Amino acid sequence: MIQEYIKRVQSGEDCSEVIAKFFDEAKRIENYNYFTVLTPELAKEQALLVSKRIKAGEFLPLAGLPVTIKDCICVKGVETTAGSDILRGYKPLFNASVVQRLINAGAVIVGKTSQDEFGFGGFGINTGVGFSPAKNPLDPSRVCGGSSSGCGGITRKTSLAHVGIGESTGGSIVNPAAFCGVFGLCPTYGRVSRYGLIDYANSLDKIGSLAKDLGDCASVMSVISGFDEMDETTSTCPVPDYGSFLAKGVKGLRVARIKEAFGEGVDEHIKNKVHSVITNLEKQGASIREVSIPVVAEYAVPVYYLIAMSEASTNLAKFCGMRYGQHAPLKGSFDEYFSAVRTRHFGAEAKRRILLGTFARMAGYRDAYYLKALKIRTLIIEEYKKVFCSSDVLVSPTMPVIPPVFEDVKRLTPLQNYMMDILTVGPNLAGLPHLSVPVNKEWVGVMFTADHYKEELLFQAGGGCG
Amino acid sequence: MVDALIGMEVHVQLNTNTKLFCRCPTLSGIPNTKTCPTCLGHPGSKPVLNKRAFHYAIKFALALNCSIAQSLVFSRKTYFYPDMSKNYQITQYELPLAVNGKVVLDSGKEIRIKRLHIEEDPAGLVHEEISLVDYNRSGIPLVEVVSEPDISSAEEARDFMKKLMSILNYLDIFDASSGVIKADVNVSVKKNNFERVEIKNVTGFKEIERAIEYEIHRQNNEQVVRETRSWNADLGKTFSLRKKETEEDYGYITEPDIIVRQIPKLVIDKLSQEIPELPAQKAERWVKNFKIDSVDARIIASDPQVASLYEEVAFQCDKILSARWVRRELLRVLNTAGVKLSDTALKAYHLIPLFKLLERKEITDRTGQQLIRELAQSPFDVGLRVKNDGLSAVGDVSEIGKLVDLVLDENVQALQDYRKGEQKAFEFLVGQIMKKAKGRAKPDVVRTLLLEKA
Repeated sequence: MIQEYIKRVQSGEDCSEVIAKFFDEAKRIENYNYFTVLTPELAKEQALLVSKRIKAGEFLPLAGLPVTIKDCICVKGVETTAGSDILRGYKPLFNASVVQRLINAGAVIVGKTSQDEFGFGGFGINTGVGFSPAKNPLDPSRVCGGSSSGCGGITRKTSLAHVGIGESTGGSIVNPAAFCGVFGLCPTYGRVSRYGLIDYANSLDKIGSLAKDLGDCASVMSVISGFDEMDETTSTCPVPDYGSFLAKGVKGLRVARIKEAFGEGVDEHIKNKVHSVITNLEKQGASIREVSIPVVAEYAVPVYYLIAMSEASTNLAKFCGMRYGQHAPLKGSFDEYFSAVRTRHFGAEAKRRILLGTFARMAGYRDAYYLKALKIRTLIIEEYKKVFCSSDVLVSPTMPVIPPVFEDVKRLTPLQNYMMDILTVGPNLAGLPHLSVPVNKEWVGVMFTADHYKEELLFQAGGGCG
Repeated sequence: MVDALIGMEVHVQLNTNTKLFCRCPTLSGIPNTKTCPTCLGHPGSKPVLNKRAFHYAIKFALALNCSIAQSLVFSRKTYFYPDMSKNYQITQYELPLAVNGKVVLDSGKEIRIKRLHIEEDPAGLVHEEISLVDYNRSGIPLVEVVSEPDISSAEEARDFMKKLMSILNYLDIFDASSGVIKADVNVSVKKNNFERVEIKNVTGFKEIERAIEYEIHRQNNEQVVRETRSWNADLGKTFSLRKKETEEDYGYITEPDIIVRQIPKLVIDKLSQEIPELPAQKAERWVKNFKIDSVDARIIASDPQVASLYEEVAFQCDKILSARWVRRELLRVLNTAGVKLSDTALKAYHLIPLFKLLERKEITDRTGQQLIRELAQSPFDVGLRVKNDGLSAVGDVSEIGKLVDLVLDENVQALQDYRKGEQKAFEFLVGQIMKKAKGRAKPDVVRTLLLEKA
């Protein structure tokens, strides 16, 4: 879809008009809370530059494309808070590598999208102090999902060409993609540079894209993927032209249905929808089988939370009212000072995760929790690897429920909340690429998971969902 | 059983051009000018390992006879302190770069090295009316060397530090003029059942020795509790920082932003080949092949510049004479002047003619000493100087005979004392004759003539 627009811009059409329209639209739907900040000035500048570069004969693969960036990703000179009050006023000195690649490719950055504070949530309601939760684009009484909530919402709501850049630690791309009825691709860990991403859990964080069209996801992924010398964990593995796999067809594709993902706790309505997608794939010549991944099913959620919270509790230590973000009058000892700043400016879920994460890595508990979680993570990766010996992609629902209304979410206990991630944490823990495809453009997603650096198989499978 | 057990944790700043995890220069300067988002701990920044620092650390570990780990793994050590840009330090924990090394002291005693690891330096704190942070230091590569508590005195600690320093000099991985060496020192004494006291952050060679001396004395004279103390160099005392019920809990996790690197044997072998012959091996070889004195050998070998000067000189001159003169004269002159060889313009080609003259006894030792002093200040052509200033040794019997007569005439009392059997008086007379000869008379001729005439 965006390709048609990009072609027009590339052939000389001024993109400023579309960019201006985007801001008009954003203003009209302000009460959906999709943005932490809009960047009309920056966008205007970038749009001008795009015109100039095209006139100078440059080919820009994302010419004039309006792109939104999840708030946890640094944009130079633009307030970047990861949805947290403690970082209010912080304007990074540099662009995240992803942002720089998008700008180089001719994209126009139009704003930062809202999220759960630091990514700590699956409904978009764990917003930082003073931030408001995003509302579902299909029914504002319901949540968008999270943590890339604003990203999911605006991607569905906008009528214009647009791709959203999201970030996933335990499912934060596919979750809002499913709830908002759009495509969401979370790549292999190490496929896209994290330089400039405000860390939630560094061994789990991945940057990916959300779009109304799978081809749009592919166009953007081809631009942002690849090795970056600023992030050691990126891979030098070559980046294929993902778009070329969309129309390849699924004939002969080995699709494995995850047995445990259709068990108790998953809405029947959702199971049925996903089954119809599987039947459709089979009709097109995909071979369907069933696999069981009991270790993932049993342990992925606790292992994920132990590792994610342990890492998060160290990442959040740097926010102490020195150097950037919120400050307080200098009073008392250093300990008293930073404790006061953190008490005031961190939200409840951030505090909960700092406490749990710190506990799990302290002497006496470290062996039983943090180190054991690392060991089981290895077992989980091994279990997936075994499955991929005989399958190309795994298939499951993305979320076990449809987006709940805000009132219902408030009644969930933290544990029930964490269990919402049961289907998405597996691939996230193992660093596997996964894609959520909306069924009939509704708020049910079917999730495909592929082996490391096999994103093209996801595009192939997704392309076959019609 | 010894009376004191001392273990050292020595922190050495490596002399790489850039910091451990970013490309900022490792220079000091106007505070907070050598910084970037990474060493300031800005959100979104990521560490990227400086491979040179990694290789320097491997060389250091190999030089300390350590075994090297199969992979390089970093950890986060979390604690809140104003000098920490991220409130965690990237260091190594469970799997240090190297373990099980040793350092051999002059006495032959072995000090075991428990572990050696790489970590980042925190920022510097400046305490004025208010406390200020200088992030220029933040992220400078450090190597931490941890010894077993095998050291039993301040002198041994000094020798241990000297040995480390000498190896660092040979490897050229530490800049003594701008780099800093710090140590945390554990001291415990028998009298107090070896209750362990840690002295934190002692900076510099001399202070480490002083702190240990003070602490041993203190522990032998008062009740000792398990605690952490600090060293106040101005007062020359240690002070209690905090009582230590248990080990501090830093909640270590694996650093996820830095990939785990395998350390292939090939890399270790290559780095091992880059290590020059180290001081201990050098000294051993000289004693064996050159037959020089072992103390001379050890002292000359401890400084790479002095050692290479000696090797050059010894290639052309008498090896034993050269060793004696380099150690006893040249090094004494340099020490007295408080300079290092590299601070002077002195080269082997200045010393070779001098040592040749000494070897052939064409100048006296006195003249030789004088010439070395002058050479250390500003070098010159020794042959030419000896010729122009007429410094050649005088062996002419009639010439020296005249001086002997003169001295005997002037020192009747000494002559009588000698005749009564006082050997001291004889030496005194020799001295007087040498003085008259301006140090140029050959001592054996002087002695022979004096014996005849007195």
